[in-house]
Amino acid sequence: MLSENAIKKLTGLLGKENVLHEKEDLITFGYDATPEIQYLPDVVVFPTSSEQVVDIVKFAREEGLPIVPRGSGTGLSGGSVAAEGGLILCLTRLNRILEIDEENLTATAQAGVVTLDFFDAVSAKGLFYPPDPGSQKISTLGGNIAEDAGGLRGLKYGVTRDYVMAVKGVLGDGLTFTTGGKSVKDVAGYALKDLLVGSEGTLGIITEATFKLIPPPQAKRTLLAYFKDTRTAGAAVANIIAAKIIPSTMEIMDNATIKCVEGYANIGLPLDMAALLLIEVDGHHAAVLEEADDVRAVLERVGAAEIHEAADAEHANQLAAARRTALSALARVSPTTLLEDATVPRSRLAETFDEIERLSEKFQLKVGTFGHAGDGNLHPTVLCDERNRDEMERAHAFYNELYEKVLAWGGTVSGEHGIGLAKKDYLERQIGSGGVNVMRRIKRSFDPDGVLNPGKIFTDKDAEKTDG
Amino acid sequence: MAEKKCLGNFPLADEPHYEGMLQCMRCGFCLPTCPTYVLTGRERSSPRGRVALAKAVADDQIAFTGALKEESFFCLDCRACTTSCPSGVHAGRVMEACRNQAHEAFPLTGAVRKFREFILQRMLPSPDLLETSMLPARLYQKLGIQWLIRHSHLLKLGPDWMQKAEGMMPELYPPLRPQLPEVIPAVGEQRGRVAFFLGCIMTLMYPEVSRQTVKVLTHQGFEVLTPKEQKCCGAPHLNEGDRSTTRQLAQYNLDLFMELDVDAIVTDCAGCGASLKEYEELLEETGDHEKLAKFHSRIKDVSEFLAEQGLRTDVLKPVDKSVTYHEPCHLCHAQGVSRQPRTLIQQIPGIDYRELKEASWCCGSAATFSLKYTSESQLILDRKLENVRATGADLLVTANPGCHLQLAWGLRQANMPQKVVHITELLGMATG
Repeated sequence: MLSENAIKKLTGLLGKENVLHEKEDLITFGYDATPEIQYLPDVVVFPTSSEQVVDIVKFAREEGLPIVPRGSGTGLSGGSVAAEGGLILCLTRLNRILEIDEENLTATAQAGVVTLDFFDAVSAKGLFYPPDPGSQKISTLGGNIAEDAGGLRGLKYGVTRDYVMAVKGVLGDGLTFTTGGKSVKDVAGYALKDLLVGSEGTLGIITEATFKLIPPPQAKRTLLAYFKDTRTAGAAVANIIAAKIIPSTMEIMDNATIKCVEGYANIGLPLDMAALLLIEVDGHHAAVLEEADDVRAVLERVGAAEIHEAADAEHANQLAAARRTALSALARVSPTTLLEDATVPRSRLAETFDEIERLSEKFQLKVGTFGHAGDGNLHPTVLCDERNRDEMERAHAFYNELYEKVLAWGGTVSGEHGIGLAKKDYLERQIGSGGVNVMRRIKRSFDPDGVLNPGKIFTDKDAEKTDG
Repeated sequence: MAEKKCLGNFPLADEPHYEGMLQCMRCGFCLPTCPTYVLTGRERSSPRGRVALAKAVADDQIAFTGALKEESFFCLDCRACTTSCPSGVHAGRVMEACRNQAHEAFPLTGAVRKFREFILQRMLPSPDLLETSMLPARLYQKLGIQWLIRHSHLLKLGPDWMQKAEGMMPELYPPLRPQLPEVIPAVGEQRGRVAFFLGCIMTLMYPEVSRQTVKVLTHQGFEVLTPKEQKCCGAPHLNEGDRSTTRQLAQYNLDLFMELDVDAIVTDCAGCGASLKEYEELLEETGDHEKLAKFHSRIKDVSEFLAEQGLRTDVLKPVDKSVTYHEPCHLCHAQGVSRQPRTLIQQIPGIDYRELKEASWCCGSAATFSLKYTSESQLILDRKLENVRATGADLLVTANPGCHLQLAWGLRQANMPQKVVHITELLGMATG
């Protein structure tokens, strides 16, 4: 809790409406969408200009408070919670789109702009911003950059990182910085913006960014394939990629997910199928026709049980929207949904499904799996109850063993959700102590006093360890 | 109730269901659909935040504080979050249960308490008392005092809400309930028989609307039964956090209507319909599940019923108007009736239908919210009015008296030309 004087100082800087410190506010800024995570901050502030961000940083330094940048709090690894208390710097009121530059095909926006609002604004000018994380209706661009958010279109169009051209922000000592610009090519010194993308709020506070835009595809076709077993669905994905077709979207849902999503969305998904693939191809009219036919041929060859095509754009949008609800819909059937973000090279997808099935039997767990199959990015989700300690232990053992395999296959413990608090224990297993040590050094050079989002990704207070 | 151990720090039994709160996985999908979150940007004023606070009370983390009382009444109970929630969380219901708790945690005293008890426990449950109480208001209008007061700014001296309430009052006609015969035969070939649940606000403030509802139903081939002894559905009580009176009224209406041999129980008030459909949950502890389920399956909003039965279009004459449609929260979010009214409107010959942007966004009326939070309500209303303006339609159709009052008032204040009509009024225009 802050002293009355400190609160008075903050309200003087930002205005009363931009400072929250009542217990009820602290509780509701104590979580994001990650299960089992709740930490009370000391205070929550909403800057309305980048200058105020500098003032806030200086204030926090005087008071000795850690600073935790936050957007809408939809993250899935605990990135925006105050794990060591401190000040939540909520950027949702820095929410202006500053420029859409049609000559350079870029747009510049403040960090608190909602992803979908940004998408809509550039769409209105005939331009396209592809990254579309599941929570795009409320997630913010700043949060997307900090977590390097992916989405359904990642397969063909890439992720947030691929669209960030410039970043403006404030460091933990109040220094403001700009890195990158509108030039398509830029090798002037270290690519600092690439360090900031995916830095999870540990290196700097992002206040503004410039994004690359592209012309939208002219045509799109959406296919829906049903499978009697998940292995065949995995094989279909690998075969489509091997046939050198890159759909814009290739999403998978297993039976448990299908049932939950259908229960919410009522769009006629098949409740008796083991898995479905939602595949979109887009681009030039002629190419799209050809690619859709090629995809269909592969699906037939590997033995999909049924293949359907979306009747029109509205139907296709409904299907994509329904897929975006998968995680939340799984929460219908159990009090706790433990979600993971394992990603494997695509050729390993079928084996990963087998492994998930084997492990859920071994640990006697109910698991729903969905994800961006085309990216090899799966979200096996354990449907459990946090009050059942035994079940929770089995769930964590399940992930532990699954990650061993994923890493052995050259995969990663997090495809798009970030490490945050949730996956800290796995990071070193993946990149080794050498990798973590380099990260620690980078962190120290940006934030020598460790005031920015402490306790995330790795424990930065630890002394540097040596390999072996 | 004192002997039963309450959940966590809730002061009263009848707490929100713990499982229902645990169901929230805090994904945030509700945030952009919640008018009070969009207005304030404050997490505690969001569905996810409100559920988290109620859960914190249940988990002994906080006491049932003033902030939770405030949030439970600041929630519009518009249920937009229910529609948007893939996990099936009912944040509105959690807040309704908290309103009840709030009265225990922060009891009213003296005259205010007596007044509330009189309104909720005596006046609203008694149709006769209600109708008599409206008499002075009608006289006041008839004598032209209303015009005088509206134009003399006399009421500006009072608090905001009184001025607004005064300005919202539609032209009043004698209540419909005592006038309506208990049985009205179908016109033309009879297709069925329905009971008509006539809501308090409909009979008192919009008797001419409900008259059209009955006319439309009979012309569509349904015999209409309107039991005179019916009482308030209980929505105002639930809204104000008086769950025990709500349950008494629910049991009374349940027994009364289940005596009737009808195909459906139809209402033209979205608020009543939503409330009647919740009797099953409200009375679940009585254990009479079969009766409750049957009652639930018979409750139909008039649009839902007519769309299900199929509109007899051969009896309709053209209405040459451009119209747009505002979805009452308690119809689209609480009852899931969204497509049906649009289908009916478009079946009327001559209608130029124009879809309203953000049609299912609350109008800011939300029972007494518009009087308790006048400035917040105004901001929510302004957003709605801008969207109405963009349609350029002649008529704004809706299906709930709360929305009707708020929208008509808002349009008048903004000097906009649109007239607000209930969907049965529109169908009435098309019915000879």
